[in-house]
Amino acid sequence: MDFLFLLELFINGLNTGLMYSLVALGITMIYKASGVPNLAQGAMVMIAGYLLWATIALLGLPLWIAIPFVVVLMFLFGLAIERWLLRRMVGQPVLMIVMLTLGLEILLRGVGPGVFDAAPKRLDLGLGLAPLVVADVFINRAYLIGAISAGILILLAAAFFRTRLGTKLRAVSDDHVASWAVGISVERAIGISWGIAGVAAVGAGTLWGSVQGVDWTLSALLFPAIAVVILGGIDSLLGVFVGGIIVGVLGSVIPGYLDPIVGGGTRDVVTSVLIVLTILLRPYGIFGREDIERV
Amino acid sequence: MGRIKKFRLFTGSMLVAAALASPVLQAQETAKFALFHDFTKVYTFVADEISQGQRDYVTLINEEGGIKGYKFEALVRDHGNEPQRGIELYNRAREEGVVYYNFFSTPVSNAIVPRALQDKVVLGMPLTGRADAIVGEVFPYVFPMMATYWSQAARILQYIEESEGGLKGKKIAYVHIDSPFGREPIPIVDKLSRQKSFELRTFAYPSPGNEQSAVWSDVRRYRPDHVILWGAGNAQLVSIREAVRNGIDPAKMLSVVWLTETDMKNVGERTAIGIKRAEVVKPGRDHPIIQRILDKVYKAGKGAGPEERVGSSYYNYGVADMVVTFEGVKLALEKFGPPLTSEKLKLGLEMIRDLDTQGFMPPVTITEQDHQGGGYARVSQWDGKAWVPVSDWAAAFQDVVWEQARESAAKFNQTK
Repeated sequence: MDFLFLLELFINGLNTGLMYSLVALGITMIYKASGVPNLAQGAMVMIAGYLLWATIALLGLPLWIAIPFVVVLMFLFGLAIERWLLRRMVGQPVLMIVMLTLGLEILLRGVGPGVFDAAPKRLDLGLGLAPLVVADVFINRAYLIGAISAGILILLAAAFFRTRLGTKLRAVSDDHVASWAVGISVERAIGISWGIAGVAAVGAGTLWGSVQGVDWTLSALLFPAIAVVILGGIDSLLGVFVGGIIVGVLGSVIPGYLDPIVGGGTRDVVTSVLIVLTILLRPYGIFGREDIERV
Repeated sequence: MGRIKKFRLFTGSMLVAAALASPVLQAQETAKFALFHDFTKVYTFVADEISQGQRDYVTLINEEGGIKGYKFEALVRDHGNEPQRGIELYNRAREEGVVYYNFFSTPVSNAIVPRALQDKVVLGMPLTGRADAIVGEVFPYVFPMMATYWSQAARILQYIEESEGGLKGKKIAYVHIDSPFGREPIPIVDKLSRQKSFELRTFAYPSPGNEQSAVWSDVRRYRPDHVILWGAGNAQLVSIREAVRNGIDPAKMLSVVWLTETDMKNVGERTAIGIKRAEVVKPGRDHPIIQRILDKVYKAGKGAGPEERVGSSYYNYGVADMVVTFEGVKLALEKFGPPLTSEKLKLGLEMIRDLDTQGFMPPVTITEQDHQGGGYARVSQWDGKAWVPVSDWAAAFQDVVWEQARESAAKFNQTK
């Protein structure tokens, strides 16, 4: 076995997996605050990518101003989703809310290319294409920076949930009625969680947009992100981190050896198998909280 | 004058008036083309530009007075790359009396093929659909019109052979999106690898191709002499970036037609100088056809989209589709006269011989047997600003292409 090849697949898989974690972070943030699995996060990442591109290419703002500007826009976008869509679903079964987020994903997938034109857009962060070569192992610089950014954002998210506001959001997630009873504005808390998911989408949209360009395919990142949250545990930030690494590494190493034998395309199979096995063996994921309901 | 006499006079004068008016009515006859696209799903990267090129050429023909008393109407609708929606659109268009259909989507076109054959309506399939539809005897109403993916792959290999002095012993990596489109040329490339004694290894990346790092690590370690890229849209951008990151010389990479100026701008204009692509239509505005469009359509404010798109590679593909179709219309009306029907258009297309587009396209000859138009393509190279031709138009290894096409068409014949 070529050890260097294995190492390269492992390192690049790890970095890619943490980039998936960036997308998954938005799903977990909303779930931790409102108990809603958000299936529109892929499209939110795409919208964030489009907005950043438009801010730079059409408004002519420099990147360092464009990013905070889009962060504000996406926070407001998240708030708007909660205000105009989610709030109307209060009291409805969770399944209906999940379907609503899925509908939103499909709607945004059409709206993004419709408004901004379907041609792929360039998002240049000035990272360059030269790889980082360590002992003949080529490490993708953009993915490495993406992975480090993901790690930082996950740590920030963990810190946020230890603040007063974060504690309120966790309380809301645990029990809406009890939260109301102690004076927490549940609607506001859920709105803020959607706003924060919008902010997380900017991180993912920026970094993924820089490596693949901006078009509707950014929304396809939902699939690996779903695998990450199922494996790691949908309510766990540690799960997002570890789940991302596992999905990324297995999705890189296994196809690296299997593809040449079977003719390719096994990465999605690996991801799918991970989802199925996790649901069968550990439905709450590696770090997810197992809720026990009294009947 | 008696009542009956008055009535006869009135009727007679009406008949004379109708007879005199008939050329006027004929001049106002409108033929409909169904130019449907996937504006919202997979082909979004190409649909807007190709559609604009098609519509602008239809407008140009109308502005120039139409053909033999006919004006033309382009029906433009979205099928979202979904065969069922495509079939619904087809049924609706049939009721509207459409004479030419182009769905510009492989899955939708393939779903329509049996209906088009049964209903005897012309289905244009340039750059999409079944590669074996070039066999006119089996697919009499289906017209690929331009070099199919099989012929493009063959032309790329022929170019390598010519420029390297042979293919023997070369290592060629075929990197493709893992979809029917990506896998389509493999039988041809594989056959040629055995025939020409070069080493072929295929590398597939999962659709939609936004993450390919593991594949390109493997490609780099394979140390290929040449890399053939078979993807589209953003997947192509990711492929090129990953290749460059892995130190693969862009000059060793050759792509299917789906790589354009817009893609190169998105990759970075100077990132992959030297990369090559198969080409079936001349890009740019430096051509009489495109100049006519600018003069007669855009100056009149009748363009179907932004003027800056005029002359892009994809735009010109749309124009080329219409150039060939209208030649078929012209020949059909000249030979058979009005009314224009799909059956007559089929025969008109099959009468096209060495269509001279002053270099806009290779010479096109469509016969009852050959619906590909000859299978000509060339290779062009990105110089940092534009695509520059590095070879002549040529039809490569057509014996292999036609052997494969006849084999596949025979299977279709057995199962239909």
